[in-house]
Amino acid sequence: MRTPRTTIRRKLILAIMLTSTTALALAGTALTIHEVTSLRALLARELATRAAILAANSTAALAFQNPEDASQVLAGLRTDPSIVAAALYDARGGVFATYPMGASAPLVPAAAGAMGNRLERASLLVSRPVMEGNRRLGSLFLRSDLRALDERVRAQVMAILVAVLGSMGVALALSAWLQGGIAQPVRILAETAKAVLDRKDYSVRARAVSDDELGVLAEGFNDMLAEIQRRDAELEQRVADRTAALEASNKELEAFSYSVSHDLRAPLRAIDGFSKALLEDCGDKLDQVGTKHLDRVRTATRQMGQLIDDLLNLARISRAELRRERFDLGAVGKEIAAELKRAQPEREGVQFVIAEGMTVVADTQLLRVVLDNLLRNAWKFTAKHPTARIELGQHRDNGHRVFFVTDDGAGFDMAHANLLFAPFQRLHRQSDFEGTGVGLATVQRIIHRHGGQLWADGAVERGASFSFTLSEVKS
Amino acid sequence: MDLLRRLLLGLTLSIAVLCAEGGAAGAEGRMTREYDMKAIFLFQFADFVNWPASTCPDTLTPITIGVLGNDPFGAGLDEVVAGETVGARKLVVRRFRTVEQVDSCHVLFICASEAGRLEHIHAKLMGRSVLTVGETKDFAARYGIVGFDVQRNRLKLRINVAAADSAKLTISSKLLRQAELVASKG
Amino acid sequence: MTNTTILMAEDNPNDEELTLRALRKYNVSNEVVVVRDGQEALDYLFCAGEYASRSANVQPQVILLDINLPKVNGLEVLKRIRADKRTRTLPVVMLTSSAEERDRFAAYENHANSYIRKPVDFDQFTEAVRHLGLYWLVLNQPPPAPRSGNGR
Repeated sequence: MRTPRTTIRRKLILAIMLTSTTALALAGTALTIHEVTSLRALLARELATRAAILAANSTAALAFQNPEDASQVLAGLRTDPSIVAAALYDARGGVFATYPMGASAPLVPAAAGAMGNRLERASLLVSRPVMEGNRRLGSLFLRSDLRALDERVRAQVMAILVAVLGSMGVALALSAWLQGGIAQPVRILAETAKAVLDRKDYSVRARAVSDDELGVLAEGFNDMLAEIQRRDAELEQRVADRTAALEASNKELEAFSYSVSHDLRAPLRAIDGFSKALLEDCGDKLDQVGTKHLDRVRTATRQMGQLIDDLLNLARISRAELRRERFDLGAVGKEIAAELKRAQPEREGVQFVIAEGMTVVADTQLLRVVLDNLLRNAWKFTAKHPTARIELGQHRDNGHRVFFVTDDGAGFDMAHANLLFAPFQRLHRQSDFEGTGVGLATVQRIIHRHGGQLWADGAVERGASFSFTLSEVKS
Repeated sequence: MDLLRRLLLGLTLSIAVLCAEGGAAGAEGRMTREYDMKAIFLFQFADFVNWPASTCPDTLTPITIGVLGNDPFGAGLDEVVAGETVGARKLVVRRFRTVEQVDSCHVLFICASEAGRLEHIHAKLMGRSVLTVGETKDFAARYGIVGFDVQRNRLKLRINVAAADSAKLTISSKLLRQAELVASKG
Repeated sequence: MTNTTILMAEDNPNDEELTLRALRKYNVSNEVVVVRDGQEALDYLFCAGEYASRSANVQPQVILLDINLPKVNGLEVLKRIRADKRTRTLPVVMLTSSAEERDRFAAYENHANSYIRKPVDFDQFTEAVRHLGLYWLVLNQPPPAPRSGNGR
């Protein structure tokens, strides 16, 4: 089980932080915008009031053409540093007095402009008429520096920023505390799952830590583990039972084959031995028919002995442990061929063709049994032909190596091919070819034990071909 | 009012008479321009002076600007006043030959021609709520309330607050700021 | 003292008869003592039971031992023979029906001198006995008899 790249703990903190920070930022922004607009409005109101007072104070100066007085009235603006310039215009719109003295465009317009408030870069500009009663005597212009306002706004924004940062800190602390309720049970659950997987120990249980859905999840998880544990135990018990049963039947089988080898053979030996004794001791009392009968008894006895040996062999091969090693199948084939030729030197017409370089990784003893059976069969079923060709070779089919033993002897009818590998099944009359019918069953079992396949092709009097594969094992 | 009195004593303010082209113009032109200015000032007084209710029986009673003696304004004063109002009151210009003719009047300009009869005029108008304006020297201090004084091409005002008080006239402090305040003499 | 007795432990009377027949056929004149089970074999060798009067100094030239014996089986008998200094040098030939690797291994592990499987074919059987007799009774030089003995 992999370790998670990120944790629920981190995700929860992130979610809480993102939410609270966004809310704070939005609130802060709204607050700032409100502050800025209300400050502007306040400033505009202040300026309007100031302009009204100034206008009222300068009516006489304008009426009686007294610029000195007007200048003095304007000079009163010194107390307010935010007002950087002011001007009075007469009824015709000409400059009458300025603040500071001598100020000119662009600080103050050279002629009275439109009345009203107006923003110009960092300045708020106010123009209003100067009235005495309902008579318009001129106009007043004020230029207020908004930098002061900006300063106030900046201070406000800074305060809000500090508040937001502080709140974020508090939110972080709170979220770290709050996430425990969710992340902790999930973490415990994840750790439990990991422990179960790593140690394959299903007795581990998740601690129940919360009474919410996570608690239910942990409970479910624990129930699941209990169920797995129960089934594990059940399975183990079943496997143990089966193994015991198997071992018992194996033992029985061994005992059976042991007694077969001992006890079945002893009477046969007696039958054969005393038949021989009868022939030797009472031969003169037996006619030719009697002698012939006794010979038949002895032949049957020997066949049964061979049958028992073959059966035991088959059983042994099924049980024996495979000992794989690298060897040349061809070399073994040549030894067997030589053996066969030595046993029947009179069969000069038989030609063995054995391929080179058939290196395999398999159990040498068992493969020898295979080749011995197949080559001996080929030898046997070509016995009625004056000349014969027996080939041991290999070819590739679909990337797999296929080994084959082919002869041009008696062959068999493919209709009965399915009976070839069953024990005791024979396709030829005993009087034609000797055999117990166990050989090919043994061969098949050995091939199967090597993870391979065995099959046969043939036709009556046109030879037989036995092919097999071996699972390729690197040694 | 004490404060104001002190201010009146201490302040003399000049009003610019913008005669930028005055040097090039002839004496007659200069005079015309001087009296245009004086006509405007006479008209403006209506805005900065309050008359007692007795002089204005209702809100529609016109404010009368009188000219006593040889009128130096020509049509100038009439032009300035034409169509103007103070509140709902119209402004009217009347011309008088003698002080005896002066019946209802709010602002009375006493022309230079009356220089010899100032004492008589002053006496005649004593107790009446008329803002007397003259252009002779010491007029405000001796014979009336407001005196015009031309200094360096600028028209200046002298105001005798005590005289105004006794005439039951209230002069706006804004107007007083523009004037040199003088005390009564003799 | 050299003795030419053959001790044969065989519980099957047919096999006993056939073995003796084969031995006779090849003129093996040695005395053959036949015991029917493992215990009797041990009694004979260690002069106990009905063989108590026998001298332990006189031991057989070769022992033919079946594995499948009643009471005490052949392998156990072999173990006891090899465990006792009086008998440990005796040639023991396992003569049995068993071809089990297990039995063969156990026999050689306990220092059997030979392992012969009784063939079903009587001709082969007699051939085996002939070889056996020729080898163990004629060709093979037995170990010298133990020097010290008792009950002389």
